[in-house]
Amino acid sequence: MSKAQRLETKRGRELKFTFEGETVTAFEGETLATALLAAGVAAFSLTRTGEPRLPFCNMGTCFDCAVCVDGRFLVRACLTDVREGMQVNRQEGK
Amino acid sequence: MHDLAIVGAGPAGMAAALAVAEAGFSVVVVDEQARAGGQIFRRPPEAWGERHGTYRPYTWARDLIERFEDHPGIKTHFRSTVFGVLRDRDRSEHAVFDVAVSTPVGGQRITSRRLLLATGAYDMPVAFPGWTLPGVMTAGAVQSLLKSQKVLAGKRIVLVGSHPIQLILAGQLLDAGAEIVEIALARDMPGLVEMVRSLPAIPGHVSIFSEGLRALAKIARHRVPISRRTVVSEAVSKDNMLDVRLSQVDRDWKKTGINHTVEADVLVLGYGFTPSTELARQVGCDLIWNSVGGGWTVSHDTGFQSSAPDVFVAGEPTGVAGAERAWAEGHMAGLAIAASLGATIPPVALAQARRRLTGSARFAGVMQAMFAPRRAALAELSRQEETVICRCETIRNGKIEKTLQNNPFIQSASAVKLECRSGMGPCQGRYCEATVAARVAEVRKASIEASGYFNAHLPVKPVPLQDYRDIGEE
Repeated sequence: MSKAQRLETKRGRELKFTFEGETVTAFEGETLATALLAAGVAAFSLTRTGEPRLPFCNMGTCFDCAVCVDGRFLVRACLTDVREGMQVNRQEGK
Repeated sequence: MHDLAIVGAGPAGMAAALAVAEAGFSVVVVDEQARAGGQIFRRPPEAWGERHGTYRPYTWARDLIERFEDHPGIKTHFRSTVFGVLRDRDRSEHAVFDVAVSTPVGGQRITSRRLLLATGAYDMPVAFPGWTLPGVMTAGAVQSLLKSQKVLAGKRIVLVGSHPIQLILAGQLLDAGAEIVEIALARDMPGLVEMVRSLPAIPGHVSIFSEGLRALAKIARHRVPISRRTVVSEAVSKDNMLDVRLSQVDRDWKKTGINHTVEADVLVLGYGFTPSTELARQVGCDLIWNSVGGGWTVSHDTGFQSSAPDVFVAGEPTGVAGAERAWAEGHMAGLAIAASLGATIPPVALAQARRRLTGSARFAGVMQAMFAPRRAALAELSRQEETVICRCETIRNGKIEKTLQNNPFIQSASAVKLECRSGMGPCQGRYCEATVAARVAEVRKASIEASGYFNAHLPVKPVPLQDYRDIGEE
């Protein structure tokens, strides 16, 4: 599980989205990777053999943070800004 | 039709865009991040109300970013990925580029008369048992989370590697309240202190020197253990923590067998950087092997034009040498592009650009020589059968070695890729190419250079099929 934590700073307005059906609170301007890491998510994706993956490069090259957003697969969480109401799911069988 | 399309809004891309726009030409810049600045500056989000981030120790960054963002002749597409250059057809003696872009609102086609690849670099991948575990991250990942998102990747952190970024990053993590369990450096410590001491001898780099000293002082004050001649050899997930095994190495980074284990939330890898050259490969630029420059780099002339006509390159793809050098190269490339479009460049401007290039080359040369990765030794870390080499397709070392054994005619990294799918996942081989090439070299008793590189095809990054339809390609 991720043990990432937000540092104190002025952030954007609060918003909510879901990950695997659970509500996650985030702030406008954050990336999806940030919000999921700060929420303590244990796996953004699972490999074909079921191994969990979390972000590795956080810059768009490794695709380990890829998730499914509103039905669209292979969306890099580190390059995606959080939006109110977005439905995010774990990507499996990567 | 734009005069110039640039991929990458880091120091090189911004400097080139300004030089070309100031000469009166139209420029369009595409970048995957949300704002200009590149990986080095990674500014906080616009929505948080501050225009600027912290650019220390680069005193010129603020001015460069402001001039870039305020120039009316520069159009930008952020959160957008260039996934290929579709056509390169001849009209008179010059090419016309059709750049395929995936934007947040769908696919777009950008046409331009010149193309500049200022695509930067990414953290050098080093495969070892456990490098795919949650909690293992690159130095760039941990630093960008801190800089742009104000997020600490974890509480207990261990940093391993050979690049000075690890010391600067350690200072930043301590400032943010992290506990650093250990910093394990592959090289000798005396060399490191010498390096920091030698920086003031290099004109124009006093600020980088003081940043290095500040970090070292902070590390000393927090009594962070620094081990030298130590590499990471394994990470194991245990009770929601990582057990990180660190091994002693000799001068050539070969393991000598003495190990110790530390417990951490996050393991940060910092063995250097690899140039992003996949677009250059797809467009047909010649590459040159340059181990101290990060691996495969793009060949170019004194005006930074590549071997592909009208395709220019600047920054890390010519050899990883830092932000200052990228800025200088971008500026020179911009002047050369403006000249090729018909502008008259004042000799004073050319002389200034040359001076900057010379100054930054000295600094880059010192850094590259001191922190050159020992590639063969790093490749040794992935020798166990079960070690994952290709993260995307979960191809393990055993499969790669078997592929080489069963196919004695295979002499290249690209042939291994075709045979066993290492490098065929979403990252397109960016994270396994170096290890596969090193394995080919080792088994065939050849050089890593001779193993070659993976070819790059469109799309160089996976994009939704809809984006192809948007730009009229099926």
